[in-house]
Amino acid sequence: MTWSHWHAESERLASQAEVELHLKDVSAAKNLYLKAAELESQALLELAPDKPRTLGITAVSAASLWFKARAFKKASQLCYLMLSRADLPDFAVDQLKGLVQAIWIEESKSEAEVMFLPGQVNFSVKGGEVVVGGAPLDLIVDKVKTIQSIFYRTIEESQDMPLRRRGDPKREVQDACRAWLFQMPPGSYQFSVAIQEPAQRDFFKATVDPDMIAERFLKVLRASAAGDAAQLELIVPDVDYRSTFLKLARNLAPTGKTFAQLEISSALGGDAVELRPENRKVISSEINRLKPKRPVDPAMVEETLRGVLRAVNLDKDWIEVVSDVGTHHINGLAEALDDVIGPMVNRRVVVRVRRDTSLKYKFEDIELDE
Amino acid sequence: MSTVLRLSGLGERHPGVTNALGDAYAEAASVCLSQHHQSPIEVAAHYKKSESDCVLPWIEPTSAVLRAHSNELDATEQGAYAVSFAAVEALAGLVAVRRAETLTGADYYVAPIGTDPEDMESCLRLEVSGVGAGNETIIRARLRQKLRQTEKGRSNLPALAAVVGFRERLIAIAHMGEE
Repeated sequence: MTWSHWHAESERLASQAEVELHLKDVSAAKNLYLKAAELESQALLELAPDKPRTLGITAVSAASLWFKARAFKKASQLCYLMLSRADLPDFAVDQLKGLVQAIWIEESKSEAEVMFLPGQVNFSVKGGEVVVGGAPLDLIVDKVKTIQSIFYRTIEESQDMPLRRRGDPKREVQDACRAWLFQMPPGSYQFSVAIQEPAQRDFFKATVDPDMIAERFLKVLRASAAGDAAQLELIVPDVDYRSTFLKLARNLAPTGKTFAQLEISSALGGDAVELRPENRKVISSEINRLKPKRPVDPAMVEETLRGVLRAVNLDKDWIEVVSDVGTHHINGLAEALDDVIGPMVNRRVVVRVRRDTSLKYKFEDIELDE
Repeated sequence: MSTVLRLSGLGERHPGVTNALGDAYAEAASVCLSQHHQSPIEVAAHYKKSESDCVLPWIEPTSAVLRAHSNELDATEQGAYAVSFAAVEALAGLVAVRRAETLTGADYYVAPIGTDPEDMESCLRLEVSGVGAGNETIIRARLRQKLRQTEKGRSNLPALAAVVGFRERLIAIAHMGEE
């Protein structure tokens, strides 16, 4: 038998597995993936040594099939075996390393004594001050907090809860879907977030599939990052929630100084979401478009203040920003949200304000100025 | 005269696609298209710096098909495969000849119609993406992203990227190194 024979049979079974997955028959899909993995491994053995590209593609395919069959030991054995070969092309080395990483996370998750919803989300922070496996602590802490906020907001929005303007999410939301942070092997600075399965799956209203939370999170981020107003409106009909997601997405996006790119991808597939400095402009423009239109007051002048956000009192509706020329007290934060402004305290910010003739400032918008 | 993009019978014309999967992809495409349009529609297909006017017909999805493809993300992704296969077939004379698994899905490899490759040494990898409601700017940005990711060495060379905009009625196809 030739490579072509074994591979064609493996293709057929893997395609059938995909159909079964679509029909939600996970067990049938797993069995088909197992058989397909065996055949693809057989194909690998039949391959002539002068076919490096086919070797790389088949190696990745066989290891991926073992992974999809959740045969993690077989998958990692094959990855390490192939990675030890000198004739493996670079693209396959990269993909097999990615597989080793995914296997590691899946094994860690099975060791934790809790269940997780499908579809963990991987984050990769790149460029600027970020090095392989290392990044400034404040940067990562900020991003992780914002990611957690977006997850909670995703759950609240899908549950039709009113937009929370102050404080943490309700205890029931925090308890229902606890986010876990998983370490990932270095490759820029990477981490992964998985959502613990709710103890009571009926926590979610009937129309919400809890398995879709991670996917929804990514959809919201993808549409926000692209400034895709039509798509975001389809996913999130409520304008206040839309504006909130855009502000949180902008907080995630780099300015280009500390880091250059945040790549967000799902372990279940689909395109990665890339956040780059240019996305901030697109997102800001969409945030402005969604702002309620105020009548033009000729006595008010628009200004931009740059400085350090020293104090926030959302209950009393003010913030204080210290710039080179002094302290600015800014009122009128009606639209501001805890989890948008909170992570900016003691950081350099850019605040758009309207100033009246008595030099009082009214808040318009705020973003990080790293 | 407009080129017709055929979603039906993909499995019969593309050796790397099984009938069941080809039909499932075509169903997904019909769900995505019928959200915005009525069959048939005219679509603009950009390939090799030129634009072709194409006609894209589909079978209106039944309620069972709509239910089966209610996951919008999956439907967009799978529907984009169907439209991309039909487009590269009609515009470039390429068909999907092989499929190989990846961590997050599967890659399809295309070759000229009639080729029966014994291996993947000369096949082009087809990188596919779907955009539901986004406009041309979003579709072009997605194509650039796809090509950038391909060039970064994440995947194997050489490759062809196709982005399908369902509402915008636009298919953008480019070889790595273009755009």
